[in-house]
Amino acid sequence: MSTKGTRIPDWLTVPFAGITPAPSQEKGQDLFPTGNWRSIRPVYRDKLPPCNNACGTNEKIQGYLDLVKRGKYLDAYALIKEDMPFPSVTGRVCYHPCEQACNRGQYDEAISIRAVERFLGDLGQALTHDVVKAGKPNGKKVAVVGSGPAGHSAAYQLARLGYKVTILEKSPKAGGLNRGGIPDWVLPQDVLDREIERLVELGITIKTNCEVGKDVSWDELKKNYDACVLAVGLTEPNSVRAEGENKAGVLYGLPFLRDIGMGTSKVKLGPRVAVIGGGNTAIDCAREALRQGAVEVTMITVEANPKEMPAVPEDLHDMVEEGVDLMHGRAVTAVLGNGKVEALQLHPARFSGAINASPITVDKDAPAQRFAVDNVIIAVGQHASLAWLPAEFKNERGTIKIDRFGRLGDTKFFAAGDIVQLGSGQPLMVVNAVGDGKRVAFNLDKVLRGEALQPRTIPIDVIVDLNRMNMTYFPHFPRVQQTLLPPVSRRRTQDEVIQALTEEQAVEEASRCFSCGTCNACDNCYLVCPEPCIARPERSNGLYKILVDYCKGCRVCIEECPTGCLEGVPELDFDTGVVRMDTAFAISPGLHGRQAEELRKLGDRPAKNI
Amino acid sequence: MATIEVQRQILPILGSPNQGARFYNPELPSSEPFVPGHRTCAGCGPSIQYRMTSKAAGDNTILVGPTGCMYVANSSYLCTPYNVPWAHTQIGSAGSFTAGVAAAYEAMIRKGKWKGEFPNIICEAGDGSASDIGLASISGALYRNHDCLIICYDNEQYANTGIQASSRTPYGGMTTFSPPGPLVPEGKKLFPKDLARMMAAGHPHCYVATASVGYPIDLMNKVRKGLNHKGAAYLMVYTPCQKGFVYETPRSIDLGRLVVECGLYPMWEWNPEKRAYDYSFRPASMRPVSEYLKLQGRFGHLHAEHIASLQKFANEQWRMLGVQLPEALIQAADAKNLVNMASAAQAEAVAQTI
Ligand SMILES: Cc1cc2nc3c(=O)[nH]c(=O)nc-3n(C[C@H](O)[C@H](O)[C@H](O)COP(=O)(O)OP(=O)(O)OC[C@H]3O[C@@H](n4cnc5c(N)ncnc54)[C@H](O)[C@@H]3O)c2cc1C
Ligand SMILES: Cc1ncc(C[n+]2csc(CCOP(=O)(O)OP(=O)(O)O)c2C)c(N)n1
Ligand code: SF4
Ligand code: SF4
Ligand code: SF4
Ligand code: SF4
Ligand SMILES: [Mg+2]
Repeated sequence: MSTKGTRIPDWLTVPFAGITPAPSQEKGQDLFPTGNWRSIRPVYRDKLPPCNNACGTNEKIQGYLDLVKRGKYLDAYALIKEDMPFPSVTGRVCYHPCEQACNRGQYDEAISIRAVERFLGDLGQALTHDVVKAGKPNGKKVAVVGSGPAGHSAAYQLARLGYKVTILEKSPKAGGLNRGGIPDWVLPQDVLDREIERLVELGITIKTNCEVGKDVSWDELKKNYDACVLAVGLTEPNSVRAEGENKAGVLYGLPFLRDIGMGTSKVKLGPRVAVIGGGNTAIDCAREALRQGAVEVTMITVEANPKEMPAVPEDLHDMVEEGVDLMHGRAVTAVLGNGKVEALQLHPARFSGAINASPITVDKDAPAQRFAVDNVIIAVGQHASLAWLPAEFKNERGTIKIDRFGRLGDTKFFAAGDIVQLGSGQPLMVVNAVGDGKRVAFNLDKVLRGEALQPRTIPIDVIVDLNRMNMTYFPHFPRVQQTLLPPVSRRRTQDEVIQALTEEQAVEEASRCFSCGTCNACDNCYLVCPEPCIARPERSNGLYKILVDYCKGCRVCIEECPTGCLEGVPELDFDTGVVRMDTAFAISPGLHGRQAEELRKLGDRPAKNI
Repeated sequence: MATIEVQRQILPILGSPNQGARFYNPELPSSEPFVPGHRTCAGCGPSIQYRMTSKAAGDNTILVGPTGCMYVANSSYLCTPYNVPWAHTQIGSAGSFTAGVAAAYEAMIRKGKWKGEFPNIICEAGDGSASDIGLASISGALYRNHDCLIICYDNEQYANTGIQASSRTPYGGMTTFSPPGPLVPEGKKLFPKDLARMMAAGHPHCYVATASVGYPIDLMNKVRKGLNHKGAAYLMVYTPCQKGFVYETPRSIDLGRLVVECGLYPMWEWNPEKRAYDYSFRPASMRPVSEYLKLQGRFGHLHAEHIASLQKFANEQWRMLGVQLPEALIQAADAKNLVNMASAAQAEAVAQTI
């Protein structure tokens, strides 16, 4: 005897008015399509989480955090690799705009996204074979000039699309600022080396000591390749235009770090070092100066206080912890000394906010201050070196002129990274260069295949409003902190300062993610629907279905969805003359099914605030 | 005569989803004993309860439905949403009918006429049935300790006949039998019958617990504990009724949480082995009753003194659970501090983490 199914006498199983066959798990009670009671329909609509939106290359952060919390690390690594060639690098160096945007920051503390990214990147480094493979060769050749993050990313994506890619790099080693800017104690060289090996494994040729304009000409680029990506970065340091800046002992931040990174540095610092500048490069210089033997390092900034400095607060904090002094509201007006720097002449200064002329106002009438030093490192930004580029492609900012697709006029040349982003309002950082390289690679592919280019202004719904999510489901939970080397032991070594998360910590941190606006298959809607008319053949995002024949539109599911990916859409306008009762007692299930198909299209309408 | 071993279903207890920082429900059984197409109101709390209960119980289940919304609205035209055997019984005979089903299976197993596991026998009685009309029959079934689970889905009124007061209707609740007016401004004057405690006190050998649709995993686990318990079990579940409570349908689960957070529906379990109450359940926060009341039209007529009375009632429940009361809730129990609903808003600022 079966205990399943309501027993209905044979003579009653034929559907006729008023009598219905037994209900089934698949179809429910056919005779009562209660969906026609509904005036608002719940629809699943994934929204962009703010972290994904803020990431310069739009990594699918919510996606890989979700995979990490389920222990699917390799899938998570593969997902991150769609947009990011070197998570092991960004997992260490990124200024993490995603964490600033993270919704959890409004609730307790932002997710430590970068730390989880590093966990995945290191996992990828340990693999003998990378999960990413080169695309089927399409017979086309592309040159990428510059092996910094932008060039690396463009080359990586193009290789995945099947192009034969050659990277031309003027330095003796590949990596751009990843090697010749970001210090070893942030990004160890072997980590970067491994990522560059991965490029070679994809079939990419890297020519170092090969400078465009010297070893290869513009015309040769045009002739020898089907297309070209210029990712040449900003290689020349800015000066402070102070009197006596050419004295011995005056160093510039960029070459100072670059030579150390390339292993060609001959610098010997004296005990007292001043660093001019208040940005991230200046911070790196000051911290590196300690490691190069300086005893007293002072950072001199025009900014009136630490808050105004255009620097990452954590890095500033770590610098002060290592013993660097800060001096605010001063500008260097002269470098004093007999042939060699002995002291700096300082004057009170502030930012005037002027856009055109010099943005810095120096109070020259105030008494000058003498500040004794043995070396000074000037780190006040950098500019491009574009003598080789035809003038028509240069702009007034001294960078490359591109259209909104990243293309140089009507040519098959594209440009990406710092070289186009300087002065464009985009912060200069590795992840933005990576994203730029990726987008340009996709557009290059479109041009070569003769497809229309799409401007990158897709309308997106970024979920930043916690009111659209249900916070009752998320207990408060502190952020997992990465351990740091103790400040005293940092001062003289190139050892990595920030330590990796353990596997357990990475899972714990990923588990804190709200999964904003994106269904994470929590099953809550499925469980709370009173009908229940939410089906899921498999428990996975994108596979939840609302049986519109039955949904009464109570909106309990919408209210209870923790992640806010369900929303209400008005079903019918009652003044348009649609007769709803015609399906109220449909004897055959087909009628309502047909109407449902029509109604499905209503999902395209804008969500109403309900 | 050879003794016959009764095979019992032992249902595993589900892990709590909110352990750790994530929200992710445990794996639930895939079968659906309760399917759509029924005619309860949109957002119906008792239906949500039905869904969760039947999901927790699984396919080898027999349901008994005394008269009430879960019978009438669910089974008109000979058509039911139940994918497992289900029978209607007269509203007063909820307990006797259920006892009969359990006794029949016991007998069939004894006589070798039923092979397989003993089914889950669940009676889904409304509060009108469980607390008033069928109280005697339910008490009988519990007392005789038939192997069944009797659930009172508590929507605090006779809903199906058009919202009349039951002995479970809260103080101040408006129904067609307790309309507020000049003589009785609060509507219902009496506080509700403490039915679950009556059941625990009167039938101490039974597993007895209170639950709410606001805590689905807790509810499903209590259903499973009741079914796993050898003998009779009784569960009283808070199930809001949008029609009678007059609230916006999306709030069904939210009310289920708020009623607990406001101390109006204390959650506890009676442990029949230890003969003791387990008061360890703690909601995430404590709130003044006004937060719960203001969402519902049935309390719209209340004055400050009535709200204070309800707060006093809630405070007694908190004390009973052994929870230290914050000063703000003690203040809110004094009508002087709640001159009108606006000042109740001040008390709302005190959402307290326990
Ligand atoms: C000191 C310092 C520290 C930084 N730290 C961080 C950090 O921690 N996190 C972060 O997100 N960002 C950081 N940045 C910013 C970040 O490094 C840059 O935004 C990013 O590297 C830009 O990438 P890119 O590929 O556009 O340029 P680059 O990295 O500058 O790469 C350009 C490459 O092109 C090569 N090249 C130039 N001209 C030619 C030519 N004619 N022929 C051939 N090759 C050529 C260069 O040698 C170089 O290798 C830092 C920047 C500096 C200066
Ligand atoms: C003996 C008897 N008295 C009255 C009724 C009428 N009646 C039908 S349903 C119902 C309401 C039952 O209330 P409750 O048990 O709380 O269930 P709810 O409708 O609230 O779900 C009543 C009074 C009846 N069917 N039988
Ligand atoms: S909580 Fe998760 S999904 Fe939401 S913004 Fe933060 S990392 Fe992204
Ligand atoms: S409630 Fe959970 S399963 Fe349902 S849509 Fe929202 S995130 Fe997805
Ligand atoms: S909970 Fe169910 S009935 Fe209510 S709106 Fe959602 S899908 Fe529809
Ligand atoms: S009246 Fe109340 S209990 Fe009855 S079906 Fe409607 S919401 Fe459910
Ligand atoms: Mg009732």
